[in-house]
Amino acid sequence: MSLKHTALPISSYQPRGTTPALRRRTQSLVRLGAVAALLFLIVLFYLSRRSGSSALSVFSLGLLSSSGGGYGGDFQLETVRYHDLSSVQGTARGWEREERILVCVPLRDAEEHLPMFFSHLRNLTYPHHLIDLAFLVSDSKDKTLQALTRSMEEIQAWEDEEMHFGEISIIEKDFGQKVNQDVESRHGFEAQASRRKLMARARNWLLTAALRPYHSWVYWRDVDVETAPYTILEDLMRHNKDVIVPNVWRPLPDWLGGEQPYDLNSWQESDTALQLAETLDEDAVIVEGYAEYATYRPHLAYLRDPYGDPDVEMELDGVGGVSILAKARVFRYGVHFPAFSFEKHAETEGFGKMSKRMGFSVIGLPHYTIWHEYEPSVDDIQHMEQMKREQLAQEQAEKEKAEKAQRVKESFGDATKQWEKDKSEIQNIAIQEKKKEAAAAAAAAVAKNKPNAQAAAGKQEEKVVARDELGESKA
Amino acid sequence: MARPMGSVRLKKASPVTLAVGAALCIFILYFLIGSSAPDFSASRKATAASHPLSPPTSPFRKTTTGGKLKAPPVAHYNLNDVSTTSQPLENRENILVLTPMARFYPAYWDNLLRLDYPHELITLGFILPKTKEGNEATKELQKKITKTQKYGPEKDRFKSIIILREDMDSPLSSQDESERHKMENQKIRRAAMAKARNSLLFTTLGPSTSWILWLDADVIETPPTIIQDLARHDQAIIAPNCFQRFWNAEKKEMDERPYDFNNWQDSPTALDLAKSMGPDDILLEGYSEMATFRTLMAYLATDDGLLHEEIPLDGVGGAALLVKADVHRDGAMFPPFAFYHLIETEGFAKMAKRLGWQPVGLPNYKVYHYNE
Repeated sequence: MSLKHTALPISSYQPRGTTPALRRRTQSLVRLGAVAALLFLIVLFYLSRRSGSSALSVFSLGLLSSSGGGYGGDFQLETVRYHDLSSVQGTARGWEREERILVCVPLRDAEEHLPMFFSHLRNLTYPHHLIDLAFLVSDSKDKTLQALTRSMEEIQAWEDEEMHFGEISIIEKDFGQKVNQDVESRHGFEAQASRRKLMARARNWLLTAALRPYHSWVYWRDVDVETAPYTILEDLMRHNKDVIVPNVWRPLPDWLGGEQPYDLNSWQESDTALQLAETLDEDAVIVEGYAEYATYRPHLAYLRDPYGDPDVEMELDGVGGVSILAKARVFRYGVHFPAFSFEKHAETEGFGKMSKRMGFSVIGLPHYTIWHEYEPSVDDIQHMEQMKREQLAQEQAEKEKAEKAQRVKESFGDATKQWEKDKSEIQNIAIQEKKKEAAAAAAAAVAKNKPNAQAAAGKQEEKVVARDELGESKA
Repeated sequence: MARPMGSVRLKKASPVTLAVGAALCIFILYFLIGSSAPDFSASRKATAASHPLSPPTSPFRKTTTGGKLKAPPVAHYNLNDVSTTSQPLENRENILVLTPMARFYPAYWDNLLRLDYPHELITLGFILPKTKEGNEATKELQKKITKTQKYGPEKDRFKSIIILREDMDSPLSSQDESERHKMENQKIRRAAMAKARNSLLFTTLGPSTSWILWLDADVIETPPTIIQDLARHDQAIIAPNCFQRFWNAEKKEMDERPYDFNNWQDSPTALDLAKSMGPDDILLEGYSEMATFRTLMAYLATDDGLLHEEIPLDGVGGAALLVKADVHRDGAMFPPFAFYHLIETEGFAKMAKRLGWQPVGLPNYKVYHYNE
């Protein structure tokens, strides 16, 4: 495309020994060069007249392109973006079609969970460059933000380019939440409605700030998931549903049965619940898993069979937020996490309801399970305290018993020795007496009957030995 | 083939070579100028994103290296610092102007260019259907955009522009006025419109946006200070009155008449009507078959009324609407289904109210609709 390129064939095919031709060609080249230079100068002059100092930068940008990429003063801006939304619909094989996925993670005082979360993130098998990450850090008192930033920057700076993620947005927004994040207040029934509405707001703020026209999928994930397959994105995507959730369980200590359903927000609607909803006022929010609202809904969690086919699907109406994969189209069309009572539900359950309302498929996988971290509940903690107390009491009792035994042993140990001493003395005396008796008897027997007297003495000796053994075992 | 003849040709064709050389020079220069960057001010460059994967409400740096892109940076956005105040100009607040567009009216674009809010704080977002008509409108829109963003004076250039194409089939083939307004078509049409609005809103709303100005593509005349004027009220949702200019044959002069009837205050009749409806039925305004007796803002304008007089509203239209970004961020969207028997912009007003935001209207502050 440059001048040099076209000149090349000319110089390559010089005819041998034709000096005039060569000279003529040189002349023509010189002329050509002169004209070109002149033209160029004119245009450059014209340009600099028209737009000030830019002409030079234009020139350098066009030819010395490397200067444009740096962080220095000169770079070009692109102000217009064009996106065809029909090309980002989301299909069953997104990783092959280069479909971008937005991973949304709401965070709050989550510093301790981050190392585990990042190990999950690094291990995801979905191509990392197609994953955009968006975090919302709200009302955090610990160092969540700093830890998050450090971990993300480390990953993006890794040598292995395959580990690098796409767009990374860390968004801060405080909602002034007064609800404590500790287990009791988080799961207490009274606090649920307002807590869920606040959580819904946080989720919406995160999504609206991070969703882009180039996203085909959106994946919501909580940080406190302990175990999940590395292929979870592909596994869920393969079903090609609008909204899909796995089953969420949690491991438990052995005394509680080893495992337990965790997420009770994924359910199918029941007539009982619909009737209940009609009786409640406009702003009421039905929450699952509380005795106050007996809904008799089939829960995804309880339908799990550890040996069941993980591809089995179940229609849902409400979903939990631990791990949701949805087509970006669902959010684009307006489905969100209601921060108000929508059909008597809020947040993720309201999200499920609204998805259904807008005609999207909402699916759960009863036998495909991920594991939430075990955080002991108040009851569990009390129970564990009780167990601890019992254990301590038992230990104390054992200790006391051992001490008592020791004392007994000590106080009776002397007696034993004394006993033995006494015993041996008594024995000696007895033996001496017996000897005397025997001697006397023998003397008599000698006189009367010799063998009979010897047998009697042997019997007496045996009896004394037997009594000794008894005494020892008692001590 | 030409190899052995090379030198001979050169001898004879030296003027041709010259011409070719000259043409080449011109081509190169044309190429250089053609791809040249518009020179943006330092303040604009400072707000630019460093990677194409970034919020579309900012321009981004073009890669000129041609090589592989670096890994995207870790971007921080503190939404606690995004203010939405009655003085947007002084606080340099970013405005997102959103327009669902089926037809392109040059007057609409000219009106946009006349906005006297700093253009470097304005991002434009468009969504167009993938129909023949939509393709044409896109072409015309792009032409105008190129003219402004590339060759226009810097003060005319907008911060960034997003053009989206819808991913749904247009429910109605015709955009004819009469066809569009048929009552039975209204629900389908407005549901599709709601989806288009939501698609546009949720993909373009950026972390730095303070206000969203909804402006229909057929609104061709607004006061140039509309953004400052409406923001001054510091209301979550504020709607001016949408009128239409026409030739009054009786008076033999240009006249204006109310156009948008979706700005209203509720009436007991309408509420009763809603109660008797099925869960998926919607109430519509402006149809004699369904008399709602609502108070319509369109009829509240008076010639001697105060320009900035406010009235509370229960339903709003989308012709022109200034919304605080917080309202949309909280989740208020345009329901494409019957939400309290309301749909699209009217449903939006209801949803915003459910979230605790009160819409207001300005009966005497007018914008003008195109007259077909």
